[in-house]
Amino acid sequence: MSENKKWYSLDLGLNKKKGSSGSCGCGKTEGGCNSHKEELSAEEFYEAAINASIGEERHKDGFEQVFDVKMDRRTAFKKLTASLLIGAGAVSTSCSLTTSGDAKEKAQIDWEEQFKGNYKLMTDDEKKKTVDRLMRSYELRTGKNISMTAENAAEDVLFGYAFNISKCQGYMDCVSACVEENNQDRNSEMQYIRIHEMKDGEGFKFDKADDNYYHEVPQEGHFYMGTQCFHCDDPPCVDVCPVQATWKEEDGLVVIDYDWCIGCRYCMAACPYDGRRFNWSKPEVPENEVNKNQHYLGNRMRKKGVMEKCTFCVQRTRKGKNPACVEACPTGARIFGNLLDPNSSIRWVLENKKVFRLKEDLGTEPKFWYFMD
Amino acid sequence: MKNKNLTYYALLFLIIVLSSCKNEGEYHSVSDRIKAEEKPYHGTLTSEELLAGRDLIKITEGEHTFLIPERKSQIKSFACIECHSKPLSQMKGTDKAKAHWDITINHANIETMDCATCHNGEDMNNLKSLTGRNIDFNLSYKLCAQCHTTQFEDWKGGAHGKKISGWTPPRASMTCVECHNPHDPGFKQRWPAQFNTKKAIERNEGLDH
Ligand code: SF4
Ligand code: SF4
Repeated sequence: MSENKKWYSLDLGLNKKKGSSGSCGCGKTEGGCNSHKEELSAEEFYEAAINASIGEERHKDGFEQVFDVKMDRRTAFKKLTASLLIGAGAVSTSCSLTTSGDAKEKAQIDWEEQFKGNYKLMTDDEKKKTVDRLMRSYELRTGKNISMTAENAAEDVLFGYAFNISKCQGYMDCVSACVEENNQDRNSEMQYIRIHEMKDGEGFKFDKADDNYYHEVPQEGHFYMGTQCFHCDDPPCVDVCPVQATWKEEDGLVVIDYDWCIGCRYCMAACPYDGRRFNWSKPEVPENEVNKNQHYLGNRMRKKGVMEKCTFCVQRTRKGKNPACVEACPTGARIFGNLLDPNSSIRWVLENKKVFRLKEDLGTEPKFWYFMD
Repeated sequence: MKNKNLTYYALLFLIIVLSSCKNEGEYHSVSDRIKAEEKPYHGTLTSEELLAGRDLIKITEGEHTFLIPERKSQIKSFACIECHSKPLSQMKGTDKAKAHWDITINHANIETMDCATCHNGEDMNNLKSLTGRNIDFNLSYKLCAQCHTTQFEDWKGGAHGKKISGWTPPRASMTCVECHNPHDPGFKQRWPAQFNTKKAIERNEGLDH
């Protein structure tokens, strides 16, 4: 284990690989092991737990303890959990008959996941470790394998999107593809993309538009336009996040670390484009419908109380593919590409068609343009 | 003399400040960044894997060179001369079953075009331009481009139509016939793929309150 980790590890003995044959931390085979020679004695453990829980405060008087505490979110958690361990710790460190190797590994993973750092600050090695942990954890919980990656932004790439208003017919194939690709909650019917049906000749009136129509399309006298997260180059949602759980990557994607988000929904309020979606309940996707090609910043399973949104399918686009909506659109209304590449289709659109962006005067610099034939 | 030196230093300082600002990726707008950092993409990501196993043809139209799918092998009844052994004029009135019963033309009107506008009655294995030249079935887009010139321009540039490749080079584009049935090219009215029942309930409740 590296020394400069950004989280606190609880060593359950799993990492002492040398010389141990079974999965039990004490070096004996699964099940009955009662000797604790390599581990802390009960007294030492108690001492260590107290130390972790109140530490130097022990040597201060009451006034100092209250007013002189250096405490941030991390240490607060650490201390809280450590003090809980004074009670529960004895159970988890001793190799009882009931604790199987799997359960221990799960506990170890959960622990390290709980105290890992912000993804944005992780080294590549740390990113790989958390992704490995998440894959293993999924396997332990469901018995199924997923493939999760943590590809970084590629060099010389800046993603951009163009939407042809004259082409969109309102079929919503993009919405279905997006829901499936990105493992969006089926219960609350979460959808990143909205298709707005608007009356011809009235311009963009989002308050009068219908984004949940139920009739055959296209309707006479209407046109259709899609919105989603526009991956603003100067994103107001990023500025307001109190814990920096959302940020802009080098390739222009605005992403969220679902494990760092505290669910305050400031970003949702700050987004002028209705780009963000919140998990009010635990997201559910039937096991056989889970898209197992995942990215840490993309379509991996979210939990209750965190924000999510379109990522331009980071799990696809950082492999060179187009986002799922672009691939699914039957009319070719959606164009995606590398803004820095003068030979790309997106650049041709920007240079040869009359393009515009929504609420351009806000200065958010969305990387999502609209155009017409 | 001193003053001159000072101005030089000041200028140098200004240049350093300005260039260091650029290096941090701080641009005033996204178009500034595009201008400053643009360069043809030759990175590690490619569409090769996506295109593997596909039969593709390289075409050059104007300043654009890209791949399109080979088509002849995809047409079920190709080669046409397996049935059309004689020129159309000689086959007319013979007692053959109506082979193309499933084709009805819904493309422009009959004054503008009929079967013979695109198909060569003398040489059924080829398509035919308005001036009577042969056009290969693999290059059928040339036929469409005769009338649909703006769509053709947009298609060449990548603004019309769809890609087989991802955003990465090499570019492979679908041709017209991949999305449009040439005999009935318009998109049809149909039900959308999605309806959000939860959103509908929320909206309704919102109205009731
Ligand atoms: S569209 Fe909204 S959520 Fe997306 S980057 Fe812009 S402000 Fe943020
Ligand atoms: S909801 Fe999450 S991502 Fe959004 S501002 Fe709050 S912590 Fe940041």
